[in-house]
Amino acid sequence: MKVRFWGVRGSIPVPGRATNRYGGNTSCVEVRPRAADPIIIDAGTGIRHLGKALMEGSFGDGRGHASILISHTHWDHVQGLPFFSPLYRAGNQVDIFARQRDMHLEAVFSQQHDAAYFPVPLSAMQAGMNFHELVEGARFEIGKARITCARLNHPWVAIAYRVDVDGAAVVYCADTAPFTDMLLGRDFIERPSFGTLPPPVQDELAAMRAGVVALARGADLLIYDTQFTPDEYKVRPHWGHSRPDDAIEIAREAKVKQLCLFHHAPLRSDDENDAILARYREVAAPEAFTLVSAYEGLEIPLGDQ
Amino acid sequence: MKIKFWGVRGSIPAPGPETNRYGGNTSCVSVTTAAGKLIIIDMGTGLMHLGNALMAGAFGKGAGTATILLSHTHWDHIQGLGFFPPVFIGGNQFTVWGPGRSPHVLEEILEGQMDPNFSPLQSLRNFSAKFDVRAALPAFEAEGLRITTREHAHGNTRALSFRIDENGRSFVYASDVGYPESGPEPEAIAHYAGADVLLHDSTYNPQDQATRRNRGFSSYEDACTAAIAAGAKRLVPFHYDQDYSDDAVDGIVAACRALLDPHGIAVTPAREGDELEI
Repeated sequence: MKVRFWGVRGSIPVPGRATNRYGGNTSCVEVRPRAADPIIIDAGTGIRHLGKALMEGSFGDGRGHASILISHTHWDHVQGLPFFSPLYRAGNQVDIFARQRDMHLEAVFSQQHDAAYFPVPLSAMQAGMNFHELVEGARFEIGKARITCARLNHPWVAIAYRVDVDGAAVVYCADTAPFTDMLLGRDFIERPSFGTLPPPVQDELAAMRAGVVALARGADLLIYDTQFTPDEYKVRPHWGHSRPDDAIEIAREAKVKQLCLFHHAPLRSDDENDAILARYREVAAPEAFTLVSAYEGLEIPLGDQ
Repeated sequence: MKIKFWGVRGSIPAPGPETNRYGGNTSCVSVTTAAGKLIIIDMGTGLMHLGNALMAGAFGKGAGTATILLSHTHWDHIQGLGFFPPVFIGGNQFTVWGPGRSPHVLEEILEGQMDPNFSPLQSLRNFSAKFDVRAALPAFEAEGLRITTREHAHGNTRALSFRIDENGRSFVYASDVGYPESGPEPEAIAHYAGADVLLHDSTYNPQDQATRRNRGFSSYEDACTAAIAAGAKRLVPFHYDQDYSDDAVDGIVAACRALLDPHGIAVTPAREGDELEI
C-alpha cells in the first residue's frame, strides 16, 4: 500500500509563504491498498485536492468507490467534504465511517450543508453515500483491508484507526491529548487545572492508553497528533492534543517501525516544524523506530507494492 | 478611513505557493475610521490573522470595541470566528450586524458553527467577550459612521452589501453578488454610486462565469460594468476563486485595467496584507 498526505494541519487551514513546504491544508490522509479503492482518513481541506486527483481516474467517469474514515467531526476533519469533487458525479460511491453521535451521522454531516452555510445540500450530492456508525473497538473490512479502531482522549470523543493490508499496517492517531492529566469528554473546560485525578478517571485514561498502544502494536507507520510543544501543552491541556514526547512513548511501547508527526499547529512555520523534527530526531535517536514529520505530498510505501 | 485586506479568497481557503502573492485566506477586511474605530467586514479565515494583530493593542487587555458587518453566513464568511483570539478576552465588546429578519435567527446560525459535534468551543456563550448579534437595518450607525446596506441575490440565497460613508468619502463592500443576466440592477448601482472605493466580487473570469452563473458570483466583467455604471473612482477586485493561481488573478487585474482605464477608474486588487487609504 501507499500512504499519502493531502492535509497535515490542525485547527484551521493556513495559507501563506510560511507554510509552503509542509502545507496549510487541514487533515486528510490517503491509504491506497495495492490495486484497490482508496481508503481516506479524515476530510479536512486536503481532501479537495485528493478529490481532483481521483477525478482523473475512474471517479471522473462515475465508476469510483472510496471509503472515508472520520476520526471525529470537528471542522478541521470534515470541512473539505463539500469540496470533494467525486461526490458531484453520479455513479460514484462513497462510504463514510465515523463514531456514533447523539444523532444519526447523516444528520451531522447534513448540518455542514445547511442552506445557511453552504449552497448545495448533502441530499443533492450525485454520488451514492452510505453512513456507517462505529463504536470503540469496532472491527470491519473494506475490500481486503482490515480496519480496527480505538477511543482517543479528545473533547466530544475522537477515534484512532488501524488499517492492515498488503502485509503492512498503518495507524492514524489524531486528535488526542495524552492520557495523564485530564479525561476529555462532553464537558466544556474553561480553565484547566492540573492535580490528582480520582482513581476511576485514572483507570479510564489508563485503559484508553492501553487501547491505543494495542492498536498501534507492531505497526509499520504510526501517524500521531503532535500539535503542541511541551510549553504549549502546559497552558492548553484541555484542547485535546499531544506533544512529540507523548507520541514517542506510545511508539516505543507499541514497537512501531516508523513514527510520523502530524496535525501541526496552524501558526507553526515551516522552519519551526524543521526545528521540531531535528530536535526530536535527537531525542528519538536511541529508539528502534524512525521519525518523520508529515508534509503535503509526502508518500510512504508500506508492505507489498 | 483605512482599509486592510486579511482574506481575499472565495469558498474555501487555498494554501500553497500558487496563492502566495494574493493570499489564500477567506474573506475578511478591516476598516479603521479617521477616529481610530474598528469595523470588521466578514469573518473568513483572514479573521484569525487580524485577531492576532489586534491582541497587541487594546483587545489584548480586554479593552477593545469593534463592529462586525457580516455579508452572509456561508462558511467562507464565518469560519474564522472560532479562531479570533479577542473573543476569548473578557471586557472586549463586539456588535455583529448581519443578514436576516431576526437577530435570534442569525445568532442560532452562528451558534450552529460552535455545535459540540463540530467545535470544541461548544457555544457562543463560551466567549468571554460581549458578542451582541443584530439584524442589519437598511441604514444604521456604527462606530460613529453611517452604514447603508443592500440585500442582494447570491445564488439561491441572499447576502448584504455595505456602504460606509465618512467625511464625504465612501467605501462599498459588495462580495458574493450574483446579478441577473441583464447585469447589475439599478438598486445596486444606486448603492455603489460615486464610491471612492468599490470592493466588488470578482470570483470568475467570463468563461467560468458562463457555466457557473447559478452559483451567484460575479465575473470581473460584472464588477467593471458595475464600477462604470456607478461612477466609482476605484475598483477593488475581491473573492477570487479558490482554484485561481496568482498568475490567473494577475490576468483578472490586467483585464479590469483594460476595461476601466478608458473611464478613468483606478484598479487596486485585494491582496492579503495590503492597505488602502481613502
